[in-house]
Amino acid sequence: MSARKHKLINKPDNIVDEMLDGFCAAYSHIVRRAGDRLVLRAQPKAAGKVGLVMGGGSGHEPAMLGWIGPGLLDVNIVGDIFTAPGPERILAGIRAADRGAGALLCVSHHEGDRLNAELALEFCQAEGIDDVDMVILYDDISSAPKSRESDRRGTAGLFFVWKMLGAFCEGDADLAAAKALAQKVRDNTRSLAMSLSSCASPVTGEVMFELNEGDMEIGMGLHGEIGRGRQQALSADATIDLMLPPILADLPFQAGDEVLVLLNNSGSLTLMELFILYRRVAFKLREVGIRVYKSWIGPYATTLETAGFALSLCRVDEQLKALWDAPANGAYMKQL
Amino acid sequence: MMTIRAAQLAAMMQAIARRVTAERELLNRLDAALGDGDHGTSISAAFNAAAADIAALDQPSASDLWTAAAKAMLNRMGGASGALFGTFFLKGVPPLRGKDRLNKSDMEAALLAGLQGVKARGKAEVGDKTMVDALEPAVLAFAAAEEFADGWRQAAEGARAGAESTRELPARRGRAKYLGERARGHIDPGATTIALLFEAIDGWWTGKA
Repeated sequence: MSARKHKLINKPDNIVDEMLDGFCAAYSHIVRRAGDRLVLRAQPKAAGKVGLVMGGGSGHEPAMLGWIGPGLLDVNIVGDIFTAPGPERILAGIRAADRGAGALLCVSHHEGDRLNAELALEFCQAEGIDDVDMVILYDDISSAPKSRESDRRGTAGLFFVWKMLGAFCEGDADLAAAKALAQKVRDNTRSLAMSLSSCASPVTGEVMFELNEGDMEIGMGLHGEIGRGRQQALSADATIDLMLPPILADLPFQAGDEVLVLLNNSGSLTLMELFILYRRVAFKLREVGIRVYKSWIGPYATTLETAGFALSLCRVDEQLKALWDAPANGAYMKQL
Repeated sequence: MMTIRAAQLAAMMQAIARRVTAERELLNRLDAALGDGDHGTSISAAFNAAAADIAALDQPSASDLWTAAAKAMLNRMGGASGALFGTFFLKGVPPLRGKDRLNKSDMEAALLAGLQGVKARGKAEVGDKTMVDALEPAVLAFAAAEEFADGWRQAAEGARAGAESTRELPARRGRAKYLGERARGHIDPGATTIALLFEAIDGWWTGKA
């Protein structure tokens, strides 16, 4: 077993609560903390609009904390490191998000998230809460082959759903329309990640998996789940040349399409590396006649301190472009 | 016919919590090979919470005990493990309702309902390298036995053999499924927890009986 990594924490048991204390203190004009690790908008959205709820493990900051706010999501139920919150806490989140038009529970597709979401919906049913639904979100092409899209896991590309679904639910959409919009964005999104390093659990101090210096793994999940296999690490251009074609072929994205591009930092790559990677993405997309509508580069859904990135593309039409450009004010997602 | 009083179940839950806590580091190590390495920490916290919550109940019925255990699993643990261990206890509640003294067939009904619940929730069968590999043989062995004593002993043996059998299996469910063939050679931590659970119950029973 490798040496323990030093992390700037206090007591391992207090990591999540102390992180939430700090986050909510820093961004008290946007969010507030309530109940058992719920993070809510400081000012709830107007009555009569569909509430958006998202649970998830920690270790992916600023996801989902940074996505609570006007034009985005309403409630985040925060779990332990890489651990989905339990159903009673999700139920509390659903209640907190309900502004009279019901709530949509957004689920990043992982076993723990899905099982707890299903239990939470059964609890809702038992309590007579019927204006609630859930949508399972996934985007990672490495986790199951094409035609088995619904087996895929949720990763950084869910970014596009939060932004556009959030904007959509500032309008007068009902619950069914909100779910359909989330599915539309999901079904137009594809992602693939790579990693140059592992990360260490702040709870146990142990590295989550072994990855030799000088190697890389394509297709890593958001918790360091193994991907398509390991190989020698390549240059920035060669890495993009390896990763972009399977993403394009999967949807498929075609000449004439307009796309949003996310280059998500998994933790500890430099912005310099991400810009160099993006340069190649832009060049290759231009080469095949795909137009980039907008791009985002930075740490949005991280895997602790992993050195790696995810490349996500979302095909957009006029409706989605308008939703993308709508205002948003989360701590880590601003759109003027 | 031997019966268990509800109050005795509190001691059973404490025995499970002690055993799982004693093996916390082992469970973390097993999980490190297949997951994120904290199964021992989270499952021991959940069983300790269950034991403490149960100790705080005033004259609990058997179904109160099972409900408290379910809530501790669901709320303190979270993740897939929380949902599955929680479901195991949650589904055992209806067969225990209204009973102050449990005979073997009452316990059997609760364990069988829990097993069915876990299999339905996790969509796992024996051979998928999950807790079901230990839970199903344990519960079926308990059900096949005539008396509590034989039942607990055979359940513990069945669970341990089932947990060991996961070593040579590829992973098909949960986060470990992405390891696929690379999961061979590692025992499933959830199945190991089930083995510890039934061994603790057997130890508690033989210490008492």
